[in-house]
Amino acid sequence: MKKYLITLAVCATTLAGSLIGRAEDTVKVGILHSLSGTMAISETSLKDVLLFTFDEINAKGGVLGKKIEPVIVDPASNWPLFAEKAEQLLVKDKVAVVFGCWTSVSRKSVLPVFEKYNGMLFYPVQYEGEELSKNIFYTAEAVNQQAIPAVDYMLADGKKKFYLLGSDYVYPRTTNKILKKYLKSKGIPDADIVEIYTPFGHTDYQTIVSEIKKFSAGGSACVISTLNGDTNVPFFKEFANAGLTSENCPVVSFSLSEDEFRSLPTKDLVGHLGCWTYFMSLDTAENKVFVADFKKWLVTAPSGVEKKNRVTCSPMNLSRTGVYLWKQAVEKAGSFDVDKVREALYGQKFKAPEGEVTMQENHHLINPVFIGETQANGQFKIIKSLGPVAGEPFSDKFLGKD
Amino acid sequence: MSIKRLLSKTETISLCIGFFVILVVLPFLNAFFPENHPLHVSAFTLTLLSKYLCYAVLALSVDLLWGYTGLLSLGQCLFFSLGGYALGMYLMLKIGPRGQYHTNLPDFMVFLEFPKRFPETGGLPPHWIPFQHFWFAAAAVVWVPALVALIFGFLAFRSRIKGVYFSILTQALTYAACLMFFRNDFTFGGNNGLTDFKEILGCELNAPSTRRALFIATGLLLLGSYLLCRWLTITRFGKIQRAIRDSENRVLFSGYATANFKLFVFVLAAVIASLGGALFVPQVGIINPSEMGTDKSLEAVVWVAVGGRGTLIGPILGAIGVNWLKSYATHSMPEYWNYILGGLFIVMTVFFPKGIVGIPGQVRALHQRWAATHETEPAIETGMVAPVIVANPEEKP
Amino acid sequence: MMITDGFGFLKRLTAVFGRQFCLWLAMSCMVPNAQGAEPRALLVEAMTTNDLSAQIALIQKLTDSPDPLIAQALAAWRQGGVYLYDAGDNLKVPFLLDANADASGKSRGIQIATGESIKDAAGQPLLFLPSDLTAVDTTSKLRKAIKTTLDVLALSSPNSNFRRDAASKLGQAQNAEYLPHFEARLASEKIPDVRKALEEAIAITQLASDKPEVRLAAVKKLGELRSIPALDLIIKLEAAAKADEKAYPSGMAAAAAGARKIIEQHIAFGTFIGTCFRGLSLSAVLLVAAIGLAITFGLMGIINMAHGEMIMIGAYSAYIAQNIFVKWFGEGTSGFNWYFVAALPLSFITAGLVGVLLERGIIRFLYKRPLESLLATWGVSLVLQQAMRAIFGAANVQVYSPSWLSGNITYADVTFAYNRIFVIGFAVAIVVFTWLLLTKTSLGLQVRALMQNRQMAACMGVRTDRVNMATFAFGSGLAGMAGACLSQIGNIGPSLGQSHIVDCFMVVVLGGVGNLFGTVSAALGIGVTDQVLQPHFGAVLGKIIVLSAIILFLQWRPAGLFATRGRGLEG
Repeated sequence: MKKYLITLAVCATTLAGSLIGRAEDTVKVGILHSLSGTMAISETSLKDVLLFTFDEINAKGGVLGKKIEPVIVDPASNWPLFAEKAEQLLVKDKVAVVFGCWTSVSRKSVLPVFEKYNGMLFYPVQYEGEELSKNIFYTAEAVNQQAIPAVDYMLADGKKKFYLLGSDYVYPRTTNKILKKYLKSKGIPDADIVEIYTPFGHTDYQTIVSEIKKFSAGGSACVISTLNGDTNVPFFKEFANAGLTSENCPVVSFSLSEDEFRSLPTKDLVGHLGCWTYFMSLDTAENKVFVADFKKWLVTAPSGVEKKNRVTCSPMNLSRTGVYLWKQAVEKAGSFDVDKVREALYGQKFKAPEGEVTMQENHHLINPVFIGETQANGQFKIIKSLGPVAGEPFSDKFLGKD
Repeated sequence: MSIKRLLSKTETISLCIGFFVILVVLPFLNAFFPENHPLHVSAFTLTLLSKYLCYAVLALSVDLLWGYTGLLSLGQCLFFSLGGYALGMYLMLKIGPRGQYHTNLPDFMVFLEFPKRFPETGGLPPHWIPFQHFWFAAAAVVWVPALVALIFGFLAFRSRIKGVYFSILTQALTYAACLMFFRNDFTFGGNNGLTDFKEILGCELNAPSTRRALFIATGLLLLGSYLLCRWLTITRFGKIQRAIRDSENRVLFSGYATANFKLFVFVLAAVIASLGGALFVPQVGIINPSEMGTDKSLEAVVWVAVGGRGTLIGPILGAIGVNWLKSYATHSMPEYWNYILGGLFIVMTVFFPKGIVGIPGQVRALHQRWAATHETEPAIETGMVAPVIVANPEEKP
Repeated sequence: MMITDGFGFLKRLTAVFGRQFCLWLAMSCMVPNAQGAEPRALLVEAMTTNDLSAQIALIQKLTDSPDPLIAQALAAWRQGGVYLYDAGDNLKVPFLLDANADASGKSRGIQIATGESIKDAAGQPLLFLPSDLTAVDTTSKLRKAIKTTLDVLALSSPNSNFRRDAASKLGQAQNAEYLPHFEARLASEKIPDVRKALEEAIAITQLASDKPEVRLAAVKKLGELRSIPALDLIIKLEAAAKADEKAYPSGMAAAAAGARKIIEQHIAFGTFIGTCFRGLSLSAVLLVAAIGLAITFGLMGIINMAHGEMIMIGAYSAYIAQNIFVKWFGEGTSGFNWYFVAALPLSFITAGLVGVLLERGIIRFLYKRPLESLLATWGVSLVLQQAMRAIFGAANVQVYSPSWLSGNITYADVTFAYNRIFVIGFAVAIVVFTWLLLTKTSLGLQVRALMQNRQMAACMGVRTDRVNMATFAFGSGLAGMAGACLSQIGNIGPSLGQSHIVDCFMVVVLGGVGNLFGTVSAALGIGVTDQVLQPHFGAVLGKIIVLSAIILFLQWRPAGLFATRGRGLEG
């Protein structure tokens, strides 16, 4: 009996404690990123940068005078679990907004949930487009903000043969489909475009690299890679060992950012190209503040946040941009109500590290685009700035119907 | 026999209570109490429970194979997903012009340029066409997995593949299927799978009444599968089934064509799993190839092991318990989920081979032993649970 | 000295002695046909004018300059590393930054005209920060012109790979202006690789010649050279010659067809050799990964789902070994190169110890329940994965290959990468070692006895506990070594094991459980089949076909390729 009483007392104090905690005026915000499973590699960094941004905003007084209270859930790289967790955030935790998702399939999985409960999701990772939900804001790069500028650059550089290599899922398929159409419109014949896909977690790139070697034997060839994170290591190791370099056959990767370079042998990647709307090496005052503050924050970061060798990258920056856009919109609307915030978001501008960005009515950003060359230290050297490009999710709009 | 009867009685009572709650009380609380009422059960909770119940059906099918026939299938999720895909195709076609492109064609077919690939049908692959009808999809939920199981089972049992080999072959099967469905060319949506469903049989999927109906249907499916399995176990067929588990050769030499029995159970289990999958998809809202992954099937085996294999209530308890734990852990302590699941696995197989259901019996046996040693050698204090002591009588040949 | 480190040496000299020395060098040694205007002045002019065509013309004049500063400045310019210093009086001085920056990232500015650093009035060198400067801008056309000039300069680079690549690239341009450069280089070139590239470049350039007899000779020459880069051009030429026989000399179509056939045969031969090698190498990878499982699963009967995690532990051990060596010797030093030699035993020991813990803690309770060992070890694999995530982070870690494992040898246009050759050798060594251990030692005898009849072996005095532990540790250790080996060709991350486990089981089951020879044959079969199918069906479908083939094959031979025959019915 005594035991029960003790338990009861403990329960009561915890409850009271949590109630006191609640007494402070806060607004709940959901973080929906996988912290375990295959996608944890990439998504953990986004969780970290979100926590950093919330602290940054809270230190300046929060949103509408309320402190942001993050609710972190782990959908464990499991797509049905994404839907469940999204529903939980919206229904049980009643969060004002959710920041999350990395893969397209996870976004597809939660989309009906956000539409059903009229929630709001900010999605920060470059993706294939072909989607527009009134409940999702895509701060991510659309195909015309990444793939098209990169290919334009390669064409201007005199490349005539294109090897499109990707992991077999929707983002590479769609991107390559659009690129093929685009390349043909630029006069590249079918014979000089090769399209190849490998499964997730593929480890054996011998055959493909030997084909690339043959393909590039005549010079003026390049590889456009949409391989996803994990498979890049075996690919680039094989590539370098076959004697291929960025000089005789450059690779443009759309899925490799500074954060991925932490786990790649960057020496094998020197000179290969990336195309993003943000690079850590960008030389702007805002970016210097962002990078320095993030590093400062890491020192005192909560446990579970990796503290060594951290970098910033485009998806991280776009996560943060999303939070600020939401904050500004909430302040403009004077309310956390999703419908009002949505209206306020249109045309919202933010001075982001890469320059000024604007949220368009098509839920995508106008964002400057840069092309960078990989360096041995895992950073990009910016070799071309393309200025602001308006994100457009539907390829019909920028390619025209066939 | 009398013990069996007795068990059946408690079983009947607990079943009645359990399914009364599932089929009547919860839907009632959901429907007739306003949202802020303390007794209100939200649609979210109902859907979550429904998901657990679907998993329980899957666990039952695993148990029918493993616990009762001794066939450890590591590919049961293939059949679960096949059922899901079959119904998912119907749901996909019912989205109609509400998709991103406002055409009658599912979105992924539009942007993967299916109209160019299948011009004669306007983009819809020919094998998708009959899935516009619910009856066809519903039938496919049964016959597609049954056919796959029949072919695979026929080949496997004919050549007397058993034990570990069977397990690993089923794993290879589901892995190959998973890779196949990942391919965008395979016309089932590739990695994104089928998603963004809007309606089923003319009812809005998001409507609370539809959710309730689906929940009740899932409950009924679980009850039905349970009763079917229970009925099987008390028939002669069930006896042969268990005899095969315990010593297949003796059954074979007694003149039974064990391969046919195993084939029947394998096909039946596939159909049960598939039905569970079919109800899973409209409620969860997505089916994609990773549901066929080898880890998912292994996880289903864990539920059965945790709950207690060779019983019927065990897998249900295991599936609901482990998944509830998962929902809780991934929300409250995300970093530790894998430790919990892995640890649970190790502890259950090493120390509690009979699962949760077997714990009372184990405690009783332990107590008796302890009492026995206490009488002869009162000086020794043996509180330690040595796993060797917990002998499993079934394992002895 | 000129050959090994000539470039760096010259650079240093330039920095010290400046322009006078270089001019002297330029005039005295290499260039017989030094042009009238001084190259550096031309370059400075190109950098300071705004007229694009004039710039290009100026840059094209620089192709003969042996001055290393010219090459350096051109390369820097192309990448936006050339800046203008305002020296007053409307005088702009182009300069580039010294590679050695100080702690604050500042470095001296090197004047292109003189090679000396820019100094202030007091004679102190001025320091610049790259981010404070604006680069002299370039356009893509200009960059292309710079690149071409650089390529011509690279023809005389001390590095033979650069020379070869430059020759191949310039040849593709089919620009007759380069012919003298090629020929001059060919006369003094000794390395066969580069000679071939130069001859190829000459012939490809001659293909575009307007003299029919030159073209005909070039086509024949390319056929003799078995030039793969020329294939596209020859095919085009053949088609054109066939279509319009009058415009081409007689025999052109036939010569082109002949050359095409030779080259195509050469490619087919190369593809065949390449496929064999790739198949062999994939087989070796599979074998190395699976051999540990052949012990723990094949011999001991434990369905070890944690086998993949043992591989992972081995790979992380290699990572740790690398980090220790980096700390001791520094990265890229010759001492560092030997980290991998230490990594192999370290990974064996680490994984072996984990194996001992696993066997003592969990598996020994499950010898009588093999199917349940599958479940428990799967639990172990989940825990180990998450533990690695907690220790090393969720992200993959980087392992650099030692220099002796990077690169390749090329034979008949087929590349044989060193790391692949190493894996093949390693697989052979490990199989021989395991075979010797199992057949020639008393431990091996006991292991085999235990495998055949556990009770009987125990009765005969075999200490089953110890043998079990030792065998499991050995199997785990082998898996660990496999991990270290695989770190040279792929990822190291928490989910490394997951990507190998299904393949490993396939290899062991297909080979026949408990048969080492079977495991080897199965790995060979799967590896070669996969590589043969891949070019035709693609990686995904190829893998599916291989899996289906295995499933079907096992219907035919349920106990695998080499079944261990026994008298028992069960088992």
